[in-house]
Amino acid sequence: MNAIGFAWRSLVRQPARAALGILGVAAVGALLFDMLLLSRGLIVSMQDLLDRGGWDVRVSAGELPGSGLRISDAVDTAEAISRLPSVQAALVMRAATAQIDRASGQPLRASFQGATMRSADPAGSRLRAPWTILRGRDAEGADEVVVDEKIASESRLEPGSEITLRASCVGDLEALPATRLKVVGIAEFPFQTTNETTTGGTLDALKAACGGNVGTEADLILVTSTGDADETAAAIRTLLPEIRAATNTEVVGRLQQTGFTYFRQISSVLTTVTVSFAVLLITVLLTVSVNQRLGEIAALRALGFSRVRVVKDVLSESALIVGIGGLLSLPLGLLLASGLDRILKGMPGIPVALHFFVFEAQALAIHVALLMATAIIAALYPMRIVSTLPIAATLRDEVIG
Amino acid sequence: MRPGLLVRFLAVLGLGLVPTLATAQEARPADVLVSRQLAESENLTVGSVVRLATDAAGTRAREFRIAGIYEPTPDPARLGQVPRSVRLHLPDLLEMTRPVDVPAGAEYVSSVNVALVDPKDAGQFAKDVNARLPGVLALPAGEAAGSAGPFRVLERFHLAIAVVTIIAATVFLLALSIMLVDERRETVGVLRLIGLPVRRILVQILLEGLLVAGVGAIFGLILALLSEQLINQFFQWRYDTALVFVRITRDVALTCVAIAVPLGASATVVASWALLRRGGLRLARR
Repeated sequence: MNAIGFAWRSLVRQPARAALGILGVAAVGALLFDMLLLSRGLIVSMQDLLDRGGWDVRVSAGELPGSGLRISDAVDTAEAISRLPSVQAALVMRAATAQIDRASGQPLRASFQGATMRSADPAGSRLRAPWTILRGRDAEGADEVVVDEKIASESRLEPGSEITLRASCVGDLEALPATRLKVVGIAEFPFQTTNETTTGGTLDALKAACGGNVGTEADLILVTSTGDADETAAAIRTLLPEIRAATNTEVVGRLQQTGFTYFRQISSVLTTVTVSFAVLLITVLLTVSVNQRLGEIAALRALGFSRVRVVKDVLSESALIVGIGGLLSLPLGLLLASGLDRILKGMPGIPVALHFFVFEAQALAIHVALLMATAIIAALYPMRIVSTLPIAATLRDEVIG
Repeated sequence: MRPGLLVRFLAVLGLGLVPTLATAQEARPADVLVSRQLAESENLTVGSVVRLATDAAGTRAREFRIAGIYEPTPDPARLGQVPRSVRLHLPDLLEMTRPVDVPAGAEYVSSVNVALVDPKDAGQFAKDVNARLPGVLALPAGEAAGSAGPFRVLERFHLAIAVVTIIAATVFLLALSIMLVDERRETVGVLRLIGLPVRRILVQILLEGLLVAGVGAIFGLILALLSEQLINQFFQWRYDTALVFVRITRDVALTCVAIAVPLGASATVVASWALLRRGGLRLARR
């Protein structure tokens, strides 16, 4: 019988303790797996969110899009960018705060995203909207908007309904006259946060909603390049040195240095604590188990089992406990991750589509490597006990005891 | 709002910050406060005179004297972002940011903080303001403090992790208890054979469990108290913030003991129960 088979029989002989050991490893492993998913989850998810829209360069006035600084003469700037040979399309975006009047109750606070829907070239080809239409069609005219599902359900709106909206493009709380706008579609806004509601329309619609008080500034210009995004961003920076052009990867890199660090740090700390916890407990389990079987192990040695063989048995036992527990930890970890993700997404300012825990093959590989290391390190001390076991003295003690 | 009152308006102006030498003959510039991080990065000290402008070109720049250096209120939502900010007296800020075509006194402010005689009236006061001043949104501080949101979410997150850790620890504890009780099988068998009832042995095991769990809990608390300082120092250094990341309060310590001691004692009793159901002879048999 090989070492694994022998270790399996040792575990089966003590089903309660073996099951508890495996369950313990599964619980700790699930937590470890989740921490690994968390360490890069936000970065992977944000990159996916940025790439999903099809815009690979973001032009803004500040270090990061959404910093509050605005690009002046935005439409002219977008036209200049569009003329670059490496640029396929450029879309201007401007956001404003808005209130949607309701038949009863408080007005609904929302953000209004205005975007250029047609390219600057004479043919005026249609640009891909920075939102996804779920029902109805996209907004085209100055009196048309799309709204998100939350607004649609709370105000009972469907394509064809009308809303009264008060938007403010300059100050947060300007008192402005109401504007009637037609809802032509229900849309999903990729960067909409959990506690936010959003409407979208053309820049003309935004201008109308803001009573014309909108100026020539914009928050962001989204660019699709014809080829390499890095080259396009560099070309834009050369053309317009006063504004910032960043590829999606660069945006994620900047966010990585600022907003996402806390979760990376907490993930590192908890990974270290979890692995240490697992090593300590499995070491104790194996050590106690080996100590209880010293007589048995000495008898096996006396029967001809080599020192290497008994060491292998202990290592195999550790590998079986950690291996089976590790396998169980994967579904448990994914289940736990969905719950923890739900909790963390309650944080204000987090886009609905962003996830904290994202599965990656790399995370799985690290998880397996850490568990393998845990199995080996945890078995070191008990392996030492069995390898240095004095056969005759142990058997004598066993008989006397 | 009283002029001259230093209110909490952060002038994040993309400030053209240029230390200059002030001569005694010049009129004393207005006072500002700068954040510790800005002071450190720009080598600014109390008494330095700086020029502030709302754009990088330095248009309409004005001189200010640094009256003090302050530690910004830690904000978990801005963790990782170095707060390089300046606090100005409101009239100075309005003077600098007012567009040329806007007459003095016609500016707007983004928010006004109101202290009520009775804080319990906050809800009703907000309702009254909303009813009487269209276009203005009043919220009680508890609802307006968006920054408290991340704290609450992180608390729930950490609680969830603590629950998983407790479950894992309990399972391991049970496994260990079963092994340790099994080790004492013969002793328990002998005690049964000399006439000690099961209940008496269980009480003894429970007391032992309580003692071990109590000592373990105290050891855990000492370890936590020792690591508290280290963790806070590391993260405060890492993020350049005064935010306290770990605080072992009396309630936290009591909660830990209240969970750990009964859990440890219960694990011992549960693990022993299966053993004690067997007969004395069977237990004592080798």
